[in-house]
Amino acid sequence: MRIAAVLFLCSSAACCQSELDFADGKTTFRGNCAFCHGLTGGGGRGPALNSSRLVHGSTVADIKSVVTNGVPGTSMAAFDFQKDELDHLVAYIQTLSRSAAKSEPVAGDPVKGRQVYARSGCAGCHRIDMQGSVYGPELTRIGAGRSAQYIRESIVNPSADIPLEYAGVTVVTKDGKRTTGVRINEDTFTVQLRDPSQNFQMFQKDGVREVIAETKSLMPPYSSLDKEDLQNLLAYLDTLRGDLNAGAAVKKAEGVR
Amino acid sequence: MKRILLSLAFASLLPAQNVTSDRLVHALSEQQNWLTYWGDYSAIRHRDLDQINTSNVKNLRTDWIFQTGQPGEFQAVPLVVDGVMYFTAGNGYAYALDARSGRQLWMYKHAFPPGRKANGSNRGFAILGDRLFMVTPDANVVALEARTGKLLWQTEMAEFHNGQYTATLAPLVVKDKVIVGISGAEFGIRGFIDAYDAATGKRAWRFWTVPAHGEPGGETWLDDSWKRGGGSTWMTGTYDPQLNTLYWGVGNPGPDMDGATRKGDNLYTCALVALDPDTGKLKWHFQFTPHDTHDWDAAETPMLLDLKWKGRDRKLVVEANRNAFFYVLDRETGEFLMGKPFARQDWATELDAKGRPILREHQDPTPEGTRTCPGLAGATNWMAPSYNPATGLFYFTVREQCDVYYTNPAVYIEGRSYEGSVSRGVTDEPEWGLLKALDPLTGETRWDFRYFHAPWAGTLSTAGGLIFAGDFDGYFMAFDAKTGKNLWRFNTGNEVHNSPITYMLNGRQYVTMPSGSAVLTFALPVD
Repeated sequence: MRIAAVLFLCSSAACCQSELDFADGKTTFRGNCAFCHGLTGGGGRGPALNSSRLVHGSTVADIKSVVTNGVPGTSMAAFDFQKDELDHLVAYIQTLSRSAAKSEPVAGDPVKGRQVYARSGCAGCHRIDMQGSVYGPELTRIGAGRSAQYIRESIVNPSADIPLEYAGVTVVTKDGKRTTGVRINEDTFTVQLRDPSQNFQMFQKDGVREVIAETKSLMPPYSSLDKEDLQNLLAYLDTLRGDLNAGAAVKKAEGVR
Repeated sequence: MKRILLSLAFASLLPAQNVTSDRLVHALSEQQNWLTYWGDYSAIRHRDLDQINTSNVKNLRTDWIFQTGQPGEFQAVPLVVDGVMYFTAGNGYAYALDARSGRQLWMYKHAFPPGRKANGSNRGFAILGDRLFMVTPDANVVALEARTGKLLWQTEMAEFHNGQYTATLAPLVVKDKVIVGISGAEFGIRGFIDAYDAATGKRAWRFWTVPAHGEPGGETWLDDSWKRGGGSTWMTGTYDPQLNTLYWGVGNPGPDMDGATRKGDNLYTCALVALDPDTGKLKWHFQFTPHDTHDWDAAETPMLLDLKWKGRDRKLVVEANRNAFFYVLDRETGEFLMGKPFARQDWATELDAKGRPILREHQDPTPEGTRTCPGLAGATNWMAPSYNPATGLFYFTVREQCDVYYTNPAVYIEGRSYEGSVSRGVTDEPEWGLLKALDPLTGETRWDFRYFHAPWAGTLSTAGGLIFAGDFDGYFMAFDAKTGKNLWRFNTGNEVHNSPITYMLNGRQYVTMPSGSAVLTFALPVD
């Protein structure tokens, strides 16, 4: 199925630009971008790029700016490409975007979805616009940053893809007490984690019995949500396209750097 | 009068060095010094110093820190010669310090012509007489006067072409020659090993690591691919004075991950070459990874050991290679004696009787990506191993990490990356590292110490029963050489990209590990 999609893209693009340019941009994309944006731009840990609504704009200049400068505050890094390599890459990303010009907004009722978010206790771990917990991933911009498909999977089966910065770890102390949380940092001799109460817990490994890397997500699967609730929740999350740096602006005004 | 007094004082600080060729041959009889990149010619990296030992290492503390302020990975191993420490710091900088206090004696900065690459890592100096030798990011060999840091001569190794040719290694002095290698296999160079006259800087010989068509080995390259065949020589070799043989590792073929244009074994890439140091003539070669497509340079340390091999004394060269196999060769003939995997690998089923890998299918890079172990950075790399004669063990750093390898047809444009791929191949699998103690006679592991991340730091062995090592999270550590027990640690605050050394001065043993942009030197407290 995936192969078919690739073939389709190849043939559709060949009409508009040289085969070489296209191939070059595609290869660069696969090697540098596909880890997060998917092999064919369908999204994953990074936003879908086969969408008519590119978050930071769809012009050549917009895309170049994002690629070369990265997106501060997100996991989008800055990339240092040669000029023509960048040109080819941007041309390829635009073909992805154009090919999905008719993409529809996510179905469902965002207002009802917000109620699902509230009654399901999502804010116990997640934060939107400074409301909620920092235990789990920040969702203020989740609609811009992830495809609906990825978000659906993250709700129903969170262990399918666990971002490294939210990997779980359990520390068993010598008296048998277990502390589980999000791994903030771990090295050969120490581990620091954030517990569900949002407190830091810090350990020296020689003082504990065991450090266990959790293979499953710390988020429970919400597979029991009924179909309509899930769709409404997805519609709500898709509307979240806020400014992650809003808080930073306040800090700056207060003189905090 | 005043001037005379001052100059006398200066003279007492910095005596003229006279490191003869004979002293280099017998470097291990000067346990207080560290006279070559490896500490001696064999690269054993073991010192008969035991003031710091398993029972008191817990008291080890920083004695002094010298900040170079130079950004980049600090890969240079310092030399210590009769109380003076000499090192390069990358980006064309070099320093001399009082090895007891860390106070600076002089600093040298290479003059880069306008428009030239002015940054890059460097791995240190070689010394002969009163002269220090280093290479620069713009591929010059530079000779400095040891007592002043004054430039004596500089010779361009290869014409500057948009920064294709660079140089990073610490030179090796053999007799009256300065032997150096080149970097740039990612930019379509044709690699070589050069020897320069230490007195004049005039080139004495060149060994091309990629033979031309018509030369022996030239048939291992398709068409004209040899002209940009890579084969960098970016790590210092070792030398056997009795056999008068130089042992040098050769890097990857180019383009790195696109093998289609260079069908054949691609000699002498990913091989160890044994050369006559007087003429540069090839004595023998052994290729670890024929037709490499994973960037597994054979830049790892070719350590020279004299051991009893199957009942008879043999002169060996041993190497833990980036391709995840540990090799033992006869260093007189190049005969393959043993090769065993020391880390996860899924590219070869085994080595045949001559040491040639028998390949698994479908492990070449593809446009869609192929997951292969080890990763591009290798199961180990340039960081130095060490050997302790008392335990008979070989101590080295293992990187347990796999990658997804991509390829695309490489197009050669001068000064541009010519890799045939994007080398961003990291998978989401957790990586880790090991400090491994291996019996070089069997290839069996005696003990392992596990690091949380895969490190870039080498090891040092001492008669105090200690192995010193560093990790990626910044720890500098001491281990019991027999058991692998961690006895001491200190967080240097930066990824360690270097290998430790030790020396003795005024009755005190020092251990030095550069990290970040600092030289950190440790000693036991004085009563």
